[in-house]
Amino acid sequence: MTVKIVTDSLSDITSDIAPELGITVVPLTVTFGKESFLDRVTMTTDEFYYRLVHDATWPITTQPPPGDFIKVYNKLAEETDEILVVTLSSKLSGTYQSALQAKSMVEKECRIEVIDSLTVAMGLGLIVITAAKAVQAGANLDKVADLVRRAMPRSHLIALFDTLKYLAKGGRIGKAQGLVGALLSVKPVLTVKDGEMSPLTRLRSRAAGMDYLYNFVAGFSHIEELAVEHATTPEDADSLAERLSSVFPKERIYRSTISPVVGTYAGPGAMTVTVLEAEGD
Amino acid sequence: MGQVDSVSGQDLREMFSAATSWLEKSASDIDALNVFPVPDGDTGTNMLLTMRSAMEEAYQAPDRSASVVAQAMAKGALMGARGNSGVILSQIWRGLAQGLLEKESFTGSDLADALQQSSVMAYKGLSNPVEGTILTVIREAASAAQEQALNGKDDLIPVMETIVKTANESVANTPSLLPVLKEAGVVDAGGQGLYTILEGALHYLKGEIEQLQLRKPWMIASNIPLTVRMPQMVAADEVPYGYCTEFMLKGEELDPDGLRLKLARKGESLIVVGDESTIRIHIHTLDPGTVIRYATSLGTVHQVSIRNMDEQHRDFLEMQKEKAPAGDVATIAVASGDGLSDVFRSLGVAAIVPGGQTMNPSTKDLLQAVDSVVSDKVIILPNNKNIVLTAAQVQSLTSKSIEVVPTETIPQGVAALLAFDYEADFETNAQIMKKAREAVRSVEVTRAVRSTKLNGLDIKKRQAIGLLDGGLVAVGDNTADVLSEVLTKLDLDKAEVITIYYGADTELAEAEQVSLGIGEQHPQLQVEVVKGGQPHYNYIVSVEG
Repeated sequence: MTVKIVTDSLSDITSDIAPELGITVVPLTVTFGKESFLDRVTMTTDEFYYRLVHDATWPITTQPPPGDFIKVYNKLAEETDEILVVTLSSKLSGTYQSALQAKSMVEKECRIEVIDSLTVAMGLGLIVITAAKAVQAGANLDKVADLVRRAMPRSHLIALFDTLKYLAKGGRIGKAQGLVGALLSVKPVLTVKDGEMSPLTRLRSRAAGMDYLYNFVAGFSHIEELAVEHATTPEDADSLAERLSSVFPKERIYRSTISPVVGTYAGPGAMTVTVLEAEGD
Repeated sequence: MGQVDSVSGQDLREMFSAATSWLEKSASDIDALNVFPVPDGDTGTNMLLTMRSAMEEAYQAPDRSASVVAQAMAKGALMGARGNSGVILSQIWRGLAQGLLEKESFTGSDLADALQQSSVMAYKGLSNPVEGTILTVIREAASAAQEQALNGKDDLIPVMETIVKTANESVANTPSLLPVLKEAGVVDAGGQGLYTILEGALHYLKGEIEQLQLRKPWMIASNIPLTVRMPQMVAADEVPYGYCTEFMLKGEELDPDGLRLKLARKGESLIVVGDESTIRIHIHTLDPGTVIRYATSLGTVHQVSIRNMDEQHRDFLEMQKEKAPAGDVATIAVASGDGLSDVFRSLGVAAIVPGGQTMNPSTKDLLQAVDSVVSDKVIILPNNKNIVLTAAQVQSLTSKSIEVVPTETIPQGVAALLAFDYEADFETNAQIMKKAREAVRSVEVTRAVRSTKLNGLDIKKRQAIGLLDGGLVAVGDNTADVLSEVLTKLDLDKAEVITIYYGADTELAEAEQVSLGIGEQHPQLQVEVVKGGQPHYNYIVSVEG
């Protein structure tokens, strides 16, 4: 039986490619005051960013309860006896814990492997996509789990924030907190390191930031997959993808939007690029 | 829960279970605060492990009355207590359990009374209680709770809010009470830990459990400003620490008070807590053998832990280095003017050496700054042509590794500092910073100190002169006009960011006026006006693009 792949909505895998690749996406919850929404299900990312900027209340994001995973597992167990779950970094959310707790409560006999990707956004998304493709090519659970583990260190995400405002407001996210408090307006570039957001450098202008993103990608000699994401500026993502077409076929670049959980800190205007490096010999 | 009249044992358990998760998020930050009584750097972890042990026991409690759950927590905490802070925390739960004895559930005033017992019990466990620690925090929080409860408010939430608020203030005040904290510029780690636990419990009571998921507790800042900026976060202390010795003694008819007296002369930081069947002992001693031998004569000894604190201290220093803002590389900048100093500091320099155009610092000044930072890899930004050479001398006087990024102006210095790559090594960073320095144009406007002719310009003393990357290019009577003139010599259509640092003798309004003028002519530019506060120079302007 075919392995079923499950991930969370922070993988930024959009609903147009998830069914085609046979990926089940479990949404996190975004709460503004008393209103709760399922990420990308009952609230679009556009709506989220609109409210992030205009609402007086600060959004709170919540991991899916184990029950959500149990429902997904039970449903998939009707069709398969092997499920692979890959979640965002356990240091950024309790989603991994939920997915893990749900494992023991599945009714049918089914092998479930849960992996903490230690990354987020397309850093996670590209790993999951690779796993799904391997499944389509006939890989079994052990093989695809091994593939995911080997892909993790090859997944490189960097994010350009347009402002430090949201990072400062949202409290602390790992070492990135060190960026807050600059007296000059700066555009920080962050990465995910050891499962946490971590600063890379700071730039003065958005144009310099876009150059940095481009040069980051251009610095890799063997790119297996590439993703470009935006929060509220699709036109910037378009022009970056256009520029990147000199180093990677444009039609193969995955495009998505930065999910609300990261967006809470990144704010509108943020951009990310993710490189899944090809495996060396 | 809008109003909470009383809380059952089950809620008590959930409340502190949530608090434990909350504490977990900041345990490592609390570890880094730890300077008292010895820098063993694990207060946060110790408190967390103690709380976990307390909660494990609480989940095995035979029934769900508040009294039984509290007893179980106290027992679990005592069994699992680690370190000074863990032992004191276990005493706090023991006091709470006594206060809640026979109670099915408890109200705000019950909690206030029980905390009072916690405070008494916490002091009682120590042979030499010290203020400015977790002890002060529990005492002040308990007495504020009493007052709130006496005001007739029996609802738990206002009582708990008072407790948390008071604990916060008390933690912020610990450096005023304890010089070692003041010197290190930190608050007491145990106090911060207790505050975090109480705050987590309050979040639970208020039904804010979801907020705990993706957030982290705030670390309280000291309420006395750090007068000297101390890159080295550890207070100087030459005393050898010996061995941190912990164990549990079990027996019959044990006498905790007698044992405390007996061990008082054997070492420092002595804690003896327990009852006639079980006693937990914590002591810092140079001779752990004698202490254990004596204990074995009274009963059986369990969970023995002996740790070499001198080693711990070294590990702690290592850990502090890791916590330094820029990893293991420190950056030092030369700057004058409070505004410019603040800008450099906000971007992460470890030390500022005052100096600039007419006040060139000595090699010794720079050397002292190099010595004052924790890191042994230091990048110096001289930010002035006349200081670059001085900076180059420092390497011959220190065993630390020095790189001088030869920045000749403030804008070059800021550009170099911003380009710092958190992931790159020392040498690579020096290269990156040197390169970034070249990507910025610097404009400076000052007053001529004498009359002269230069670059075809006729200059009278006191006239405003404008320099572009150090070369004289404009002269006039008005500084703002001269600045505008220099800017016309640059291709601003290709620039992206202009930063105007206005000097000590220049009005913000005038700088804003110049900024508006540039913005009108070049709408694509991002123009920022920042207080530089530098002497002599009316304007220092960076043009980046």
